[in-house]
Amino acid sequence: MKRYAIIAVLAGAALAGPAAAKNVDLVTLPKRNTVQLTIYNSEDITLVKETRSVTVKKGANELQFSWANTLIDPTSVEIRPLDHADQIEVADTVFPGQKPQHLIWSIDSQFEGQVKVEVSYFTSGLTWSMDYVSIVDPPEEKMQFRGYVRVFNRSGEEYADAEVRLIVGTINLVEKIADLARRRGIPVPQPTVAPGGLRREVLQKSMAAAEQAARRAPLAAKPKAIVKEGLSEYFMFTVEGTETIRNGWSKRMRAVRADEVKFDIVYRMRSYQYGPRPVRFFLWRNDDEHKLGESPLPDGRVRIFRDNGRDGLSFLGEQQIRYVPVKAEIEVNLGSDDLVVYETQRMSVKRLNFQFDHGAVVGWDEQSAWVDTVRNYRTKPIAFELRRQWNGDVEYESEMKTTLFDYRTIEAKFPVDARGKKQYPCTVMIHHGRNAKQSRIRLKRSR
Amino acid sequence: MRTRTAGLLCLAALLSGAPAAWARIKLAALPARERVEIQLDNGRYTLVEEERIVPLLTSTAKAGNNRIDFSWSNTRIDKDSIQFRPLAVREGGKFRPIRKIDGQDEVSVINVAYPPGENALVWEVYARQACAVKVRVSYLIGNLTRSFSYRALADKDEKILTLKKYIQLRNYSGEEFGTAGIWAGFGPKFLKPVGQQEDIKILLERFKDVPIQKTYTFDWYAHGRLNADKPLCSKVLMHYVLVNDEKHQMGKFPLQPGKVRIFIQDGRGGEAFLGEDWARLTPLDDEMRLYLGEARDVVCKRIVKENRRHSVRGNLFHQEVLVQFEVENFKDKPVTLDMIVQMNRLAKQYGASPHGDAEWELGDRTSKAIRVSTTKHGGARPVLSVDLPARPKDKDEKVKKHTFLFHVTIRNLW
Repeated sequence: MKRYAIIAVLAGAALAGPAAAKNVDLVTLPKRNTVQLTIYNSEDITLVKETRSVTVKKGANELQFSWANTLIDPTSVEIRPLDHADQIEVADTVFPGQKPQHLIWSIDSQFEGQVKVEVSYFTSGLTWSMDYVSIVDPPEEKMQFRGYVRVFNRSGEEYADAEVRLIVGTINLVEKIADLARRRGIPVPQPTVAPGGLRREVLQKSMAAAEQAARRAPLAAKPKAIVKEGLSEYFMFTVEGTETIRNGWSKRMRAVRADEVKFDIVYRMRSYQYGPRPVRFFLWRNDDEHKLGESPLPDGRVRIFRDNGRDGLSFLGEQQIRYVPVKAEIEVNLGSDDLVVYETQRMSVKRLNFQFDHGAVVGWDEQSAWVDTVRNYRTKPIAFELRRQWNGDVEYESEMKTTLFDYRTIEAKFPVDARGKKQYPCTVMIHHGRNAKQSRIRLKRSR
Repeated sequence: MRTRTAGLLCLAALLSGAPAAWARIKLAALPARERVEIQLDNGRYTLVEEERIVPLLTSTAKAGNNRIDFSWSNTRIDKDSIQFRPLAVREGGKFRPIRKIDGQDEVSVINVAYPPGENALVWEVYARQACAVKVRVSYLIGNLTRSFSYRALADKDEKILTLKKYIQLRNYSGEEFGTAGIWAGFGPKFLKPVGQQEDIKILLERFKDVPIQKTYTFDWYAHGRLNADKPLCSKVLMHYVLVNDEKHQMGKFPLQPGKVRIFIQDGRGGEAFLGEDWARLTPLDDEMRLYLGEARDVVCKRIVKENRRHSVRGNLFHQEVLVQFEVENFKDKPVTLDMIVQMNRLAKQYGASPHGDAEWELGDRTSKAIRVSTTKHGGARPVLSVDLPARPKDKDEKVKKHTFLFHVTIRNLW
């Protein structure tokens, strides 16, 4: 079944003539000259702009546009002449009741001849996403960072040689394009290719299409550049040249490339957030210093591999990152590390400062001595960050430099030598019952 | 029947003809795997890396670029994890690194296309000139997992043991790998064929002459009374304790969790099975405690001889307790018994809440022979250690009942 949105020119349209046919049409099929896709990733919406050449006569003309089995929003379809714009005017747009997924434009023209027009509309089913791959060098100091855009076409339509623009940012839609497309009882198109045996055929067709495109376009001798530019609150990635993305297929192209990106490794112990063991983070920034910063990095999954120094890779971990603005930090949690051990132990406890009411204890203080120990079995020193929450009215004291992260969380940062051990002692006084006057930690002393 | 698996199809030649022609005439190279590596160092994911030699045609405006089709079936490959990296170009019978010519890699991946509804993808690859390229395809695969197990053989005197660590590879991924390099993240790398639905157990490391400490532990509150006939006795549990450090002939890497089967030399050149236990993750310098079972030759009885409440003010009081341990060692070797006292449970026994961990102080009536340690389990669970001599060698001499007093005051209860 053909799914193409087409423009039909009703040659010699006689709007009210006695010989006007209701169900029998004679049409010509002007081809697309160019097509531009602007795909948003925050919503399932793509702005399609295509140019075609049509022939008009002086006076009234009719142009028919149809989009069978696609996910086009009928309310968004517009046409505008690119030539002789002052002589051509769209008088009205009619959606015929008997013909779903059709519309007819009535065109008043003072010009006769070939005219280039631009048809634009919103469609659903074209999406894109980002993913990233990092390969860290064996000493874990620098990484090769790559970002890839992947464009998915499940729109029901095939866009050959399309200029592809990808919008990074969040937009507001009051209605979903797919809902608008279905509103007139249009079924949602399924992928055109049956699973299994047809793939080779489709691959061959795709290759044929690509081959045709290759003959028209200069040869791609390197991955196509993705041009990035800011646009209001958004960022636009434009794929160099044109791309053919068959219906049902997706295509992945490199969009970000940075080599020798320095990064930091930090171990974080936050039992309330990451569980009972310290977790290992790789940190770097989306900025010039880290050979990035050309554009924001859209949401996507980061996979981190390490060159294991034995002619192979090791998989360190993966994480979904959220949109990273320019100059913002990128954090990837690689999970716990068997070579870094954290233990905490309460060494003593003492209760004092009792308050009584009618002989019953109603307030007291509890003083505990704790020692946290970090053991690093790696061959490099590590940076360790400890955050620990204490609830209630707490007085906190440690010989080591400690700050408050928030009203109930202390934070201490310290290095641990290679194959070394570091102890973090502290004394915690918690006021209970009527002795508790606040709900916060008060740091008594910090170096 | 061999399961259908991942395959690489080089379709470079297909592009040279007109579309109508190549739709009917297929010519494809099927590059075999030159090398496979299975990386098991990440406990959650298994990474497979395979190297193949792929023939590429010169990319031209007419013929376009090369297309390399990678497909798989009945295999749980994470589609989004697949990486394709050209590594080297064959030149004069040898491979050399890919060069940059005029600022461009002579071989590079242009894009990847994913066909609908299929486990496949197609790389478009540029080649400056026709060549054979060594490429590496890496992907994460499911149902190819590893686990660890151990076999411990103690000498007859239970002073040292030999600990063997095994890695067990289970391949239910749907794919088979000829001779694959297998690496667990530590220890040696192995070259093994890994067949479909095969379990392969490989010895990773052998630790010889590992000193062991055999411990006997009594914990009344953990195990309760032994039986109705002996209401004041409780179980005495036996463990082997190994320390994962160089001093104890280990300390090469953390020991991953796994089942440990424990054997002992029987003195006649044979072995006897002592039992098995699950070993937890044992970081370097940490102890691995292996539970052996209950000791029947070490008997410990716990008697609360005295308890006295000292009122402080209002409902606040201190609880003074005198616990007597009566211990008999029927073994022909001296042993050390560790008696764990759970202070919070002891406080609750006297109708009081410790409001957190109990605050306590040792009384002066505590036997001098008791060594009190709070470093192992923290202040709320002190460990009382006592040394017991072996049973008398004289047949007529009875086993001595050793009595130890533990005098403690739990403070500030209400």
